Amino acid sequence: MAESDVLRRNNVKVFGSDTSQPMMFAHGFGCDQNMWRFITPAFSDDYKIVVFDYVGSGKSDLAAYNPQRYSSLDGYADDVLDIVHALDLNNLIFVGHSVSSMIGALAAIREPDRFSQLILIGPSPRYINDPPYVGGFERADIEGLLETMEKNYIGWANYLAPAIMKNPERPELAAELTESFCSTDPVIARRFAEATFFSDNRNDLPRVGVPSLILQCSDDLIAPFAVGDYMHANLSHSTLHVLSATGHCPHMSHPEETIRAIKSYLAETVGTPVESTSV
Amino acid sequence: MDELLDCAPCGFISFGTDGTVLDVNTTLLEILDTTRDDVIGKSFESLLTVSSRIFYQTHFFPLLRMQSRAEEIFLTMRTGTPPGDVAMLANVAARAAGNGDVYDCVLMRLRERRKWEDEILRAKRSAEEANRAKSGLISMMSHDLRTPLGAISGYCDLLTMGIRGEMNEAQLADIERIKKSSDYLLSLIDDVLSFARLNAGQIDNLSIQSLTADFVLSRTEILMGTKIEQAGVEYHRENCDTAVSMLADPDRLQQILLNLLTNAVKFTPRGGTISVRCEVAGDRTCIHVTDTGVGIAQDQLERIFEPFVQATGTSTSARGPQKGFGLGLAISRELARRMNGDLTATSTVGAGSTFTLCLRA
Repeated sequence: MAESDVLRRNNVKVFGSDTSQPMMFAHGFGCDQNMWRFITPAFSDDYKIVVFDYVGSGKSDLAAYNPQRYSSLDGYADDVLDIVHALDLNNLIFVGHSVSSMIGALAAIREPDRFSQLILIGPSPRYINDPPYVGGFERADIEGLLETMEKNYIGWANYLAPAIMKNPERPELAAELTESFCSTDPVIARRFAEATFFSDNRNDLPRVGVPSLILQCSDDLIAPFAVGDYMHANLSHSTLHVLSATGHCPHMSHPEETIRAIKSYLAETVGTPVESTSV
Repeated sequence: MDELLDCAPCGFISFGTDGTVLDVNTTLLEILDTTRDDVIGKSFESLLTVSSRIFYQTHFFPLLRMQSRAEEIFLTMRTGTPPGDVAMLANVAARAAGNGDVYDCVLMRLRERRKWEDEILRAKRSAEEANRAKSGLISMMSHDLRTPLGAISGYCDLLTMGIRGEMNEAQLADIERIKKSSDYLLSLIDDVLSFARLNAGQIDNLSIQSLTADFVLSRTEILMGTKIEQAGVEYHRENCDTAVSMLADPDRLQQILLNLLTNAVKFTPRGGTISVRCEVAGDRTCIHVTDTGVGIAQDQLERIFEPFVQATGTSTSARGPQKGFGLGLAISRELARRMNGDLTATSTVGAGSTFTLCLRA
């Protein structure tokens, strides 16, 4: 695929210090690159910033959505590597939120030489409990989420989508939908939810050789402490940092603390040999 | 809390940007069967069921942070005794306060409406399932029909080649008729198969790439050349060179153009003209296929894009009775839309028709 096609497909935006080390921010399930708006300004003076939308999210090219490719997180890792190749990124700091943590890890397994560090915000290799492993959810919880999403799309997408289809000359209708909700296509959103919450990447963790920072929130339903500890125990060269921020989106709820933690880690790990630590 | 708000016939709750509940009205406490002390200071998220908590973290909270408001959010909240849940519709807006925003949230309880929505969802799933089953059946049948047709066509070729012995003129002519009928049947089955695949969502695997108009039209013209020549119509194209490009799946785009040109040949009388013109309009590239055929009545112009519909009356084929299931244009428009484009038509009865395919440049 041509470089321009990849950049258009994933709605890639590049800004900041063009000649500096690249830093890629990958959004999680549910929204799009706008999630990073509270974080990226703190890094744009010193890094080349790359943000993007996964196919099916935000303002990506919905026509490029391929159910086979995106039925597992590997397809999303393909997106990341396509962007890495299109922009010829090297020595890359990858910042992934939630499911993007595992997507970044999968990309780093395949092409470790491209990556310098992984910053994993609220990562989880498996969301569903598998005793003795604690993922935090039962399958019924995820099915409940799918139903909640479906109910919400009754109110949003389903009544707006026909209006958009019938009024192609009125792009503001599509814009209204996009801005009112990040996931614009209910079918794709459901498939992304299934690819995310039914994934099991525990066996991939030991294969990640790139150093990583795990940012663990306090009282995070989606990635509880047990999951953060599991990640740390199975990811070599990982650093576990517990934030005082609660919830699952510290980059939105507590951006200052998140920025401090990332900057501190990057400052500490520049040129230092890799080893697992806990902060 | 204001007395009016406290007794309002809907739930009201306000929470900070970190989700900590700052205030709640009596109505909501009664709905949730809880006390003010059990709610104030806790996180709003903790009042939700597990599935709604996930939704809150993945959708609701990011939405609030990004645009400071959210409307018509479906949530389920936990209730005290007996343990259970209640469905709510939430409207939330941010309000600037001393140390940051406060989110004011109005919650409407859903009772009857929830039952109806559940019913709608069940009916929707059931319809989708039935549609998938129907498409699967059509697809399977079509495959099963293709196999013997392939054998018929293949044996026709073998007989024509004289592999079973020399054949006379009349026999060769009969074989030719069998072969033509078989090919025609095959084209009908291909249409049904394409339509079934589109309906079943099996044509999602599009390889969208930048293509030049010259490339796609040259490919199509090679396949259409003999048909155009045999029909005795003049063909020309303009402004469709390598400088004009569009974003499309090459095979699907060719399928659309083949359909448009085949229709144009079918409905243009001998001595008529078929012209193809390309036009770049903003971020769109349009290909206009114009014929000097019999034309289509205005009241038929939209109907011809519906499946299993063919224009009637004035649009009788220039080459005898119409053939086919009327799926070609329905398939073509659907494919165009899957590629972020559209296919439209204009026509004047007796003067001809123009079909316009617009795609992203």
